[in-house]
Amino acid sequence: MKTLRVLLLKDLRRAWRNPVGWLVFLAIPLVITALIGMVFGPKTSDTALGRIKFALVDEDDSVLARMLRGAISQGKGGEHLDPVFLGRGEALQQLQNDQLSAVVVIPAGFTRAYLLTTNVVSLELVKNPAQSIYPAVLEELLGAVVTGLDALKRNLASELPDWEAVVEGQGDYHRVSELIVRAGDRLKAARKTLFPPLITYANEAETSNLAGSAEAAAPGDGKAPEKKPGRAGGAAKKEPGFNIFGYLLPGLAAMFLLFLGENASRNIHRELEQRTLQRFRTLHHQLYDFVASKVVFCLVFLMLGSAVMLGGGGLIFRIDWRNPLALFLLTASYCMFASGLMTLLPALLGDRRSAQALANVLAMLLGMIGGSTIPVQQLPAFLRDHVSPMLPNYWYTEAVRSLAFDSHPGGWLSVVLKMALVGAALMFLAAWRLRRGLERGTRG
Amino acid sequence: MSLLKVERLSKAFGAVRAVDEVSLEVREGEIYGLLGPNGAGKTTTLSIIAGLLKADGGKVVVGGTDFASDPGRAKKMMGVVPQEIALYEELSGRENLEFWGRVAGLSGVDARKRATELLEALSLADRAKDKIKTYSGGMKRRINLGAALLHRPRLLLLDEPTVGIDPQARMNILQFVQDLCADGTGILYTTHYLEEAETLCRRIGIIDHGKLLAEGTLAELQERLGGEKVFVLEGDLAAAAPETWPGFNHRFRLLQQSAGQMLLAAIDKRDPGECLRELLGLPLKVQNVTLKRPNLNDVFLQLTGRQLRE
Repeated sequence: MKTLRVLLLKDLRRAWRNPVGWLVFLAIPLVITALIGMVFGPKTSDTALGRIKFALVDEDDSVLARMLRGAISQGKGGEHLDPVFLGRGEALQQLQNDQLSAVVVIPAGFTRAYLLTTNVVSLELVKNPAQSIYPAVLEELLGAVVTGLDALKRNLASELPDWEAVVEGQGDYHRVSELIVRAGDRLKAARKTLFPPLITYANEAETSNLAGSAEAAAPGDGKAPEKKPGRAGGAAKKEPGFNIFGYLLPGLAAMFLLFLGENASRNIHRELEQRTLQRFRTLHHQLYDFVASKVVFCLVFLMLGSAVMLGGGGLIFRIDWRNPLALFLLTASYCMFASGLMTLLPALLGDRRSAQALANVLAMLLGMIGGSTIPVQQLPAFLRDHVSPMLPNYWYTEAVRSLAFDSHPGGWLSVVLKMALVGAALMFLAAWRLRRGLERGTRG
Repeated sequence: MSLLKVERLSKAFGAVRAVDEVSLEVREGEIYGLLGPNGAGKTTTLSIIAGLLKADGGKVVVGGTDFASDPGRAKKMMGVVPQEIALYEELSGRENLEFWGRVAGLSGVDARKRATELLEALSLADRAKDKIKTYSGGMKRRINLGAALLHRPRLLLLDEPTVGIDPQARMNILQFVQDLCADGTGILYTTHYLEEAETLCRRIGIIDHGKLLAEGTLAELQERLGGEKVFVLEGDLAAAAPETWPGFNHRFRLLQQSAGQMLLAAIDKRDPGECLRELLGLPLKVQNVTLKRPNLNDVFLQLTGRQLRE
């Protein structure tokens, strides 16, 4: 152990004296996260998703459309949505100039057709192809609106002509109250069908102090969760808010930890080239000491690197990792995998350049297919369904994102065990192969 | 007392016999020089003794311990100075020495103390904190030597420790090695510099093509060439045919012959003047004759037919 400690301290000291290589690998993921986050993320100091600017083109000009216009500008809608009301031409022009995330068109005759006919009616959504997240969010929202309208139409079909008369200004208070009572009775009767309490949702973007109000209702209790506004006490648990930096950083960190591992494992070849390993072998120690020190050095180096990336990144981008112990265990086990893989390559390939080239290609491939750089959902079906789920990069990235953003993250412990197992196997293999190569004289 | 005993050591790389039945012995307080041209098998022999290569045959005994049966114990008695600079360029001279001391088994305090002693002895105390990469070639060589001495080895293996450095730095290292020897350290010193072997080593082994061709003190080796009599004849010697001269082979040994020079050693202990008269009586057009004391190059020439410097 004493020799291992001395060797490890020497390698750390050498790394400290040669900082350029590893500093670059530490800085790149933080810089990329900052750049992408600033381009696609919130423009204000709020770490949640910013307001989505879109155009609403009201070609129908009915009372219903006007109500819709008012509704989305107020309350919660106003917090997250930033609608502008334009004509079709101008809206499309602004979309083309990348001033809008999307254009929603309410076509002429929409209200009348919806309330009075059985024809299928459509809303039109034009997404900005230059953006990915905001248009997708808007599309989801529109999907929810359409589902709601569809449910209303199916359940209140007989009342809709009367509603049409009311919205056209032809009804009186008596008629309106009658309609409200009838609609209320119908909804009450159909409540269990319309709102099955099997699955509920909690508002992921809410980061204000809501004292445990968004917890999912237990199946079968028949009650949807209710939010209780107001400030909670200091002990209240915050709900996770989406933070684009927190979404990007784990993936990039996973990939650049591999590059950092490659940087650390170059040390093996340097010892061979500088003949210091040769000198070490003239001493009374076993080769085990040297080989173990290299694998442990790589692991310690990666642990320190990940602390800078995730800890430093967390502070810079105000990411709330929420469960530091789980994050630590996940990162430690991922570092085991990365150091095992990156020390195996120089152990297999005697030539430094070949080992370096292969390690870099492997790191990039793992990064891309494992979801570090592009979301796995964007990959071809075969890679997405059959290859990505097999990769430790994917396990790590998804588990850390889940820790950061899911209300009830689970399964991280099994990911820790899986990665630690794979890492330990790779480290053992690397140590065995390296020792054998050195003993046979095929290294150095 | 014998610190190193090598018996019939052999090593082949494919068809090439790099070390061929080499036997030698290094005693306490003795510098044994292993002299030979590049590729003679010096470094391979030393690497086997240091445990870096496995021998195909033979035996190495260090301080009474058979290397094969207890390499750890044998290695603890040895210090090895490789031919290449084997240091960490990013670390300072002191850090390098302390590190090699720690891995050689010293405690942190002892390693620091010993590093200070060695830095003083190697005249590098004022540069102790500078990184190795800022050192000159000679300074690196000195630290390279010091790194093998932290644990005070009884046997030191030095593989061409003065290659590529200036005369002043070479003198410093040679003086340091002599001081070590005076303290009782046994030293196996490989070199291809004749002067080093002649001035530094008590006994010398001449090696070529993996074979130890001759061994002994400088005087013993010179004796092989007729003591102190080697004659250099210069002139037009292209047509000279010594094998046709009656009785020549009984009186002289031809060491080397070229168109302009002939190197001869007298076989018996005749008077140099008598030898000179005999040489001048030969059917040759000699312009100049020199009488000189034979050196190791002459010995090597006699043994291999080649100059050591070739």
